[in-house]
Amino acid sequence: MTAAAADVALKGRVGDPFSSAWRRRLPLLPALLYAVAITQLPFIVSIYYSFTNLKDKTQSLIPEPTKFVGIDNYKQIFTDPFFRQAVWTSVQMTVLAVLLSLVFGTAFAILLDRKFLGQGLVRTLLITPFLLMPVVAALIWKQQMFSSLFGILDKILTFLGLSSVQFISAHPLGSIVTVLVWQWTPFMMLIMLAGLQSQPGDILEAANVDGASGLGIFRQLTLPHLRRYLELGALLGSIYIVQAFDPIDVMTGGGPGSTNVPYYVFQDSIGGGFRYGSASAYAIVVVIFAIIIATLALRLLSSLFKDEERA
Amino acid sequence: MASVQYDDATRLYPGTPKPAVNELELTIDDGELLVLVGPSGSGKSTALRMLAGLEPLDDGRILIGGNDVSRVPPRARDIAMVFQNYALYPNLDVAQNMGFALKQQGVHKDERTKRVREVAKLLDLEPYLDRKPRNLSGGQRQRVAMGRAIVRRPQVYLMDEPLSNLDAKLRVQTRAELVELQRRLAVTTVYVTHDQVEAMTMGHRVAVLRDGDLQQVDPPSKLYHEPANLFVAGFIGSPAMNMLPVSVDHAVKIAGVEIRIADAPGGGQRGTVGFRPETVVIGTEGPIPARIRLVEDLGSEAFVHLVIDHEGEERRIVAKVEPPFHGNVDDSVRLTLRGTVHLFDGAEARRATVTL
Amino acid sequence: MKRGARLGVGERRSIAIGIGVLAWVVALIWIFPIAWTVLTSFKTEQDAAAQTFHQGLSFGRYSDIAHSIPGTLSLQTAFTNSLVVVVVSTLIVLLLALPAAYALAIRPVRKWRDVLFFFISTKFLPVVASIFPIYVYAEKWNLIGTRTILVVLYIAINLPLAIWMTRSFFMEVPRELIEAAEIDGTSLVNQLRSVILPIAAPGIAATALLCVIFAWNEYFYAIQLNFASGSTMPQWVISNVSTRGNFLAKLSAASIVACLPVVLAGWAAQKRMIRGLSMGALK
Repeated sequence: MTAAAADVALKGRVGDPFSSAWRRRLPLLPALLYAVAITQLPFIVSIYYSFTNLKDKTQSLIPEPTKFVGIDNYKQIFTDPFFRQAVWTSVQMTVLAVLLSLVFGTAFAILLDRKFLGQGLVRTLLITPFLLMPVVAALIWKQQMFSSLFGILDKILTFLGLSSVQFISAHPLGSIVTVLVWQWTPFMMLIMLAGLQSQPGDILEAANVDGASGLGIFRQLTLPHLRRYLELGALLGSIYIVQAFDPIDVMTGGGPGSTNVPYYVFQDSIGGGFRYGSASAYAIVVVIFAIIIATLALRLLSSLFKDEERA
Repeated sequence: MASVQYDDATRLYPGTPKPAVNELELTIDDGELLVLVGPSGSGKSTALRMLAGLEPLDDGRILIGGNDVSRVPPRARDIAMVFQNYALYPNLDVAQNMGFALKQQGVHKDERTKRVREVAKLLDLEPYLDRKPRNLSGGQRQRVAMGRAIVRRPQVYLMDEPLSNLDAKLRVQTRAELVELQRRLAVTTVYVTHDQVEAMTMGHRVAVLRDGDLQQVDPPSKLYHEPANLFVAGFIGSPAMNMLPVSVDHAVKIAGVEIRIADAPGGGQRGTVGFRPETVVIGTEGPIPARIRLVEDLGSEAFVHLVIDHEGEERRIVAKVEPPFHGNVDDSVRLTLRGTVHLFDGAEARRATVTL
Repeated sequence: MKRGARLGVGERRSIAIGIGVLAWVVALIWIFPIAWTVLTSFKTEQDAAAQTFHQGLSFGRYSDIAHSIPGTLSLQTAFTNSLVVVVVSTLIVLLLALPAAYALAIRPVRKWRDVLFFFISTKFLPVVASIFPIYVYAEKWNLIGTRTILVVLYIAINLPLAIWMTRSFFMEVPRELIEAAEIDGTSLVNQLRSVILPIAAPGIAATALLCVIFAWNEYFYAIQLNFASGSTMPQWVISNVSTRGNFLAKLSAASIVACLPVVLAGWAAQKRMIRGLSMGALK
């Protein structure tokens, strides 16, 4: 070690501003400060609003003065049937979309895990839906596929002699989940492909020599190995899918079957209700629940955070 | 138990000019431990994997117990393999690792447990049966890999450098245990290594490979004393055989000293003469003058590196002596050759041998 | 059989071919909606509405959308805005994320788990909730309708993912290399430059690509914080959804144009993405 470095190392132990601990924190600070400033301030302001009856004054006939209402907004949440409905829809939407895209994604990854003619091209085609704008994806499915006036699916049904189905109006949740799965399956596929390719080849060879069939190898060795990749996919996917907004706005515009919590909050605030106070309360409740669930989930999925610490 | 035969087996990787394994002809007897040895790239691992079914054949056949298995997938060949990096199943514990193959065969749980315990006892693995591989030391993992193979009672054992990841002392110890085990179980074993000491101490016979071609297959002593060519002569034995270029004409001149070799061809072509360190005797009298460069005293034996003047150039040779050796660096000494001297022709084949 | 090989020993050729065919069939079905939309973008509106081919195919719709009606968002404006916003925000995200990942992976701070959780938790607050406070302040500071506000927000959106992924890739760098650099007295910046980045490069590329994808495709903030006359590509696409009858072909063309840059980028970088992800996004 050079004299200068030794000097610094010594200094570190004496606890001055350039001590080892602070030198470690320094690179983290820009990102940390930025995140706190941009995300926490709105969060805190939202908390503040949630204790008021803030409304957009330009939208109501009888403008009320903004005042503190304490926890009235929060009390209201538990009696609001539409909010309960939205929560239930959120849960259904997220669980279905995440599970289905994981299943499809894993299946596609398995298909793609070996060489065949045009493998690269197939993979390119399969990931494309993920690259599209969610609004475009929603529009495509709304107009081209599901629409009863123009949609392809409808023409196919007619062609087969079956009666026409109003996909979006009759199955709002299903339609939204379809678009979400269509878009997120490639993302899961990429993660699972990474998982499959990270499995050491000689273990598979050993299993082959030991007499295991392809299916047996998959079930007993590959699937356990893939577990942490499935967990990662589920975690990342949930974080994004639970916030899904664009498809709902484009395809159904809200409505009982397809309004999830973000959309409900939207409708309550800038989407027409202009009740910023109560909308903020909903949002805060959601965040609290999310933190609780995420903490629980991460305790369970400890494999994701279980690293050897670097000294 | 079965014999193994490579019948003109060839493996050519697409895009490469020369086969990795070139028309290999090799028969391994039932119960024999045959070592495939050679430098990296010699094709020994490829040949082993062809036997396992992990590499396809581009030509020729492979037979196990007289049956052509060239097109049979690995799982149906009734072979067991120990991989260089052990390839233990990370999510299964030791007992499950060892019982894995039996489970695939549908062996009943009680029978499985019984057999696993037997082998665990044999290999001193009983205390570790419910540990996962990541909680085992290198030596323990190696034994689990062996146990996994032994439990299966296959027709052939295949081993791909199983000891190379162990530290030196453990390696020597495990080597002896392995040989003992193989003799006891009497199962045909094909063993790959790059370490010629391992090859010499373990195999009933040793097959030397170089660039995909089989150089010689013989019991170790024959490889040592009767190498078929220059490559085998230089590869087997440590320190390596001393080699000097000479002109061959019924006699050769080593450092100006003439040595008659009765069977040597005439004609004066260029060839190589080779003699092992133990044939070099250091003393105060003798025909060859030399200067000491380095003395390596290992306690039980000593090697002296010397420089001689051969055909006008300085050449280094190594002598083996009994310790304690009292010479020093830069001392001048005189050498005598006493023992076996080989003569290799221009095409590197061994042509004649004389004992001085 | 080696991973990903064509044919194992004793494997029936028909099975291998069968899997290949299945993969192709799946891919074609999966991509059908997009393929059909591309086809539609070349039709006339009548054909598009009726799903027929009577009037042939042409680039007509594409030239339609290139010409903008004054007063509405033009393709050129939207494209430029999107480009600037995406590039700037992604660059800044990387600039923030790389040192942060260093502080979480290579010389970790003591509470790195909590820090990581904090970053992820910033994604728990729905965008729709934070929009109002953000709007209020953006208006106060005259940032409505600017690229700046979008850049600022997109950085915040992508930072957690970028930090998480970059950290995983940094964990892949062998300890000895870092130690050697430390002994040589290399500064943090030089460590990043000469040792860490070359190894983690595919992973960083994958991260950057994901940030680009999410930033380019972002709809909510873009709509809410901009005027109708100036925004990014997502808004421009929506502006082509006309209420005066359905212009399906035109909309298809607009959709294709809007998505093309990111799709092409994704296609070009997919191998790197997989390599990046398999390197260690999951440690």
